[in-house]
Amino acid sequence: MSEPLLTVKDLVVEFRTELGAVRALDEVSFDVPRDCITAVVGESGSGKTVTGNSIMRLLPESAQSSGEIVLRPGDEEPISISSLTERDPRLLDLRGGLVSMVFQEPMTALSPVHRIGDQVAEAVLCHRRVSRETAWDEAAAMLEQVGLTDVERRMRMYPFEFSGGMRQRVIIAMALICHPQLLICDEPTTALDVTIQAEILVLIRSLQRKLRNSVLFITHDLGVVAQIADRVVVMHDGKVVESGSVRQVLKSPRHPYSIHLLASMPGARTREFSQ
Amino acid sequence: MTRILSVSDLNKSFAGQDVVRSVSFDVDESTSLGIVGESGSGKTTLVRCILRAIDPDSGTVRYNSRDGWRELDGLTARELLPLRREIQMIFQDPFASLNPRMTVQAILEEPLIVHDLGDKAWRRQRVLDMLRKVQLDPGAASRFPHAFSGGQRQRIGIARALILEPRLVVCDESVSALDVSVQAQILDLLARLQSEFGLTYLFVAHDLRVVREFCDHILVMYAGSIVEQGPVDEIFTNPRHDYTRLLLSAIPSPDPDEKLEPLDRAALNLSVDL
Repeated sequence: MSEPLLTVKDLVVEFRTELGAVRALDEVSFDVPRDCITAVVGESGSGKTVTGNSIMRLLPESAQSSGEIVLRPGDEEPISISSLTERDPRLLDLRGGLVSMVFQEPMTALSPVHRIGDQVAEAVLCHRRVSRETAWDEAAAMLEQVGLTDVERRMRMYPFEFSGGMRQRVIIAMALICHPQLLICDEPTTALDVTIQAEILVLIRSLQRKLRNSVLFITHDLGVVAQIADRVVVMHDGKVVESGSVRQVLKSPRHPYSIHLLASMPGARTREFSQ
Repeated sequence: MTRILSVSDLNKSFAGQDVVRSVSFDVDESTSLGIVGESGSGKTTLVRCILRAIDPDSGTVRYNSRDGWRELDGLTARELLPLRREIQMIFQDPFASLNPRMTVQAILEEPLIVHDLGDKAWRRQRVLDMLRKVQLDPGAASRFPHAFSGGQRQRIGIARALILEPRLVVCDESVSALDVSVQAQILDLLARLQSEFGLTYLFVAHDLRVVREFCDHILVMYAGSIVEQGPVDEIFTNPRHDYTRLLLSAIPSPDPDEKLEPLDRAALNLSVDL
């Protein structure tokens, strides 16, 4: 299938504020191809998160958007995400079903008062008519896939009993349990130690190779981009400044901002002063 | 080279849990020592013990002040005060570390008032000089922190730390919260100020790429102990301890052809020989 799984075209998002409208996204266009990892990279305020949230239709009421977001699931009619109304039943299928999301902060993304197993199984029960037992078993299988050991015991534990890395594995299991065609990861490793980050990156990469879904990976770290992504979209100030294969963009960037970003990487730059 | 700090056999525990264990190291003047390790490895507790923000359980911290060597660990708060002029800190969070209700002038002037330096006109001038040193507009003095971006706030934090003309500056994750391009500017600023004033930095960071670029020496901490220390280039090219190897293997290279293959923690010998 050559058609991309997701197409974002001329997406404009403005927030109404007391000081007037603020344009967060300015005619953003890019594709998310099938069966690969696409990274969106940029600094704070560049519009990465607003882009991810637009795809999930998670923007606050103060946002006004125009443009088109089209998802083309493998065996179904294309869905124009941008034109679904808030009450459209397809929106429920979409969120957590066809498209799901992994957030930055694994502690706040989990409920502190529910057992891990119940939280993962809940995602199944929300989307399919199955018994609690089936949902529990599927949750156990998924948690094993994301590298949890001693799963049956751990499923009866609470998030506070888990380390940051284990919590993020749980979040990934929750996101993947309904076999989404698109997994959006918004800075999923930013809050983690570098060693745990490496484990999670390797996990996300190997799961993508196995499940053959598409991943949209939002990050500010070009090192992470180089290691996880096949394609990259560079954003700056609400605009896409460059997109292409990771190798092309990181090894021979064309846009001055991409060059600047690469030159700012610690270790990549030469110090401008002399001692 | 002149030694400025000498820490020996420092220990600190909280509720029976050892957080800093028999830590010893020396620092030379006008160099930067990077302190790395995962969260919970004791980096912050270590520097807080050195600053005497908390009291270590045992061990000595010797500091070569303008008036000669002093043992920081035995001093009372009053005796420490003159030394605090020489040892300052730059914090991690540029939003939480500035009082939102004080103007930049008041924020920068406060250390001078605490140490009873100069009159109002002199302090005002000193604040303006300092703002220029950190490349902020003189107009910044009359504004409040909310008017500044994260990078600009960190410049204010740096100005506050340096206004007393310290010799030893502790940076606890001082660039971690910043975007890469802002981070690069702040690192350049810190380096420039180091060569201008001969500053010594204790640079706590979890990002090994930043430490490699910025520091001369490095301490690798694991479970409260130093597992390895030495010149940055040596540690990065020839790590001896398995824990250092684990940390280095986890750094995501910006070259897509250098594949990330983190070492398996379970297969490593992470024991700490004391």
